[in-house]
Amino acid sequence: MTTKDVIEKIGLRCLSNFEHREVEGVFVSDMLSDVMAGAKSGNLWVTVQTHKSIVPAANLVDVSAIIITSGKKVPQETIDLANQHDIAVLSTDLPSFELVGKLYGLGLVSS
Amino acid sequence: MEDTAGTVKIETIKQALGAVVLEGQDRLNAAVDHVYASDLMSDVLAFGKPDSILLTGLATRQAIISAHMAEFKGVVLIRGKRPKDGAEQFARDNQLVLMTTEMDMYDACVRIAAEEGMAVTHAAAAEPESSGEDILFSNNFTIEGSDFAKAGMVSTEVKSILKKIGFDPKLVRRVAISTYEGEMNVVMHAKRAAVRLQVTPKVIEIVIDDEGKGIPDVEQAMQEGFTTATEEMRAMGFGSGMGLPNIKRNSDDLEVTSEVGLGTTLRIRFFI
Amino acid sequence: MSECRHRWEMANIQFGFVVFEKCSHCNNLRTYFSLDDTWDEYREGDCLWSIVENAQTFRFDLKCRECNHLETFQDLMGLLYCTSCLPDCEVEVVRKRYEAEKTWVLVAFGFLPQARTRPIEERKLDILSEYFNQRRDTKRSRIKIISFNLISDLSRCRGEFIHDVGMLSQEPEERKHLL
Repeated sequence: MTTKDVIEKIGLRCLSNFEHREVEGVFVSDMLSDVMAGAKSGNLWVTVQTHKSIVPAANLVDVSAIIITSGKKVPQETIDLANQHDIAVLSTDLPSFELVGKLYGLGLVSS
Repeated sequence: MEDTAGTVKIETIKQALGAVVLEGQDRLNAAVDHVYASDLMSDVLAFGKPDSILLTGLATRQAIISAHMAEFKGVVLIRGKRPKDGAEQFARDNQLVLMTTEMDMYDACVRIAAEEGMAVTHAAAAEPESSGEDILFSNNFTIEGSDFAKAGMVSTEVKSILKKIGFDPKLVRRVAISTYEGEMNVVMHAKRAAVRLQVTPKVIEIVIDDEGKGIPDVEQAMQEGFTTATEEMRAMGFGSGMGLPNIKRNSDDLEVTSEVGLGTTLRIRFFI
Repeated sequence: MSECRHRWEMANIQFGFVVFEKCSHCNNLRTYFSLDDTWDEYREGDCLWSIVENAQTFRFDLKCRECNHLETFQDLMGLLYCTSCLPDCEVEVVRKRYEAEKTWVLVAFGFLPQARTRPIEERKLDILSEYFNQRRDTKRSRIKIISFNLISDLSRCRGEFIHDVGMLSQEPEERKHLL
């Protein structure tokens, strides 16, 4: 499954410019330290964090996309930094718990 | 999954997650209506609904205090985390269930969602509701800046006083959340503050009067989100929201007066 | 030394602040790690140290999950990412060079003044890089961790620490210039 499939099937908004890539597993956390300790390459990272720190953190662990939940407004500087690093920033109005149900429905497993 | 408030027993959640109970073994029969999955305590305070259970990777006492302020029934720590900084003691003292599971957040959410009747939490502030009793009460507290060990103690006390008096739990919750946001501001940004809780037949009033840096532009600090703040304000640590919008959301009236270099006074009122 | 080809995982994560303090007498800059967001001033001989900035951060050690070897990072206060604030900064120059090869650069931040004479060991920096590279598809891109000694002018640096927003302080604070 690719980021393109996930975006289309769930109806996510794309906030940054990026190349689609293969998705492997999901990691849900709002703690950057947890993401850096636990997320794996290719994971979708589900979070409500929007601060631009999420971009270097996502980059460090090579996640396939950041999905920002609960309709949080994402600052432009976060999107700018994501564009610069080819990091996919997606968003949804669903809260994390509900999005997890949909991702699970697509057959995605945990990290 | 929809937001139809179903209920599930904490015991069922415990079994679904293979969780270990650290506190509140005797309260596993209690039912919860919602699950809130977040590590961001400002979100828990702003959007969490009463009688929820919190799934979080934040194992500090602040996580438990936030859950308590938001009237949650329990907290599940994910990824096998163990509570820190007296989190267990706080859970015990305030009758919260505290559990830990080896699962990560994704698996924990999936397992709970698989349980019948479990509702999903949506972002919505508590509905204001009025009720109350005809009494008069006043009490003073102090908050010390940078004293993280005691952060949350004043709001915990305010909450327990108002609960004992017998106010509507929803109202108590709004007062507790507002006081907690104000208290954390003092701990993080000010030297100290005097707090006064006053209850009149019509109004519960919290006044937090701090000695601190002050807020250069109160109007801006009241706006949601940090993107609206100017760089200078952010550099000073203000305009980042500071919890002020959340206090405003939870209260009936908020008055902020501030003088740069001297301090800030919050007058938060709740109409009974 | 063991034959183990270490597989690293994070251990002993500690949340806190990088405290920058400056003396108005000697004009020196020091940094230390604090669990709390304090703003104390104190005198030390002729020096009057006052805090000019607290930047939220977290520090950690690395442990091998195969052989349990613990690599401590006592000299590390956190990871900083360059915001390209100063075009002539050595970090920016290095960063551009690496990025051309699809390698992302992060800065390991340590203690001053100690690191001026005893920089964070190159070996430790390589282990940090290795930790992040082990878990990514290195065909796509790599990670390189460099020392904060390369920051040309710390008092003007606006790099940002990777930190957990909403954990210790409730909202993110922007880094400011150290005057």
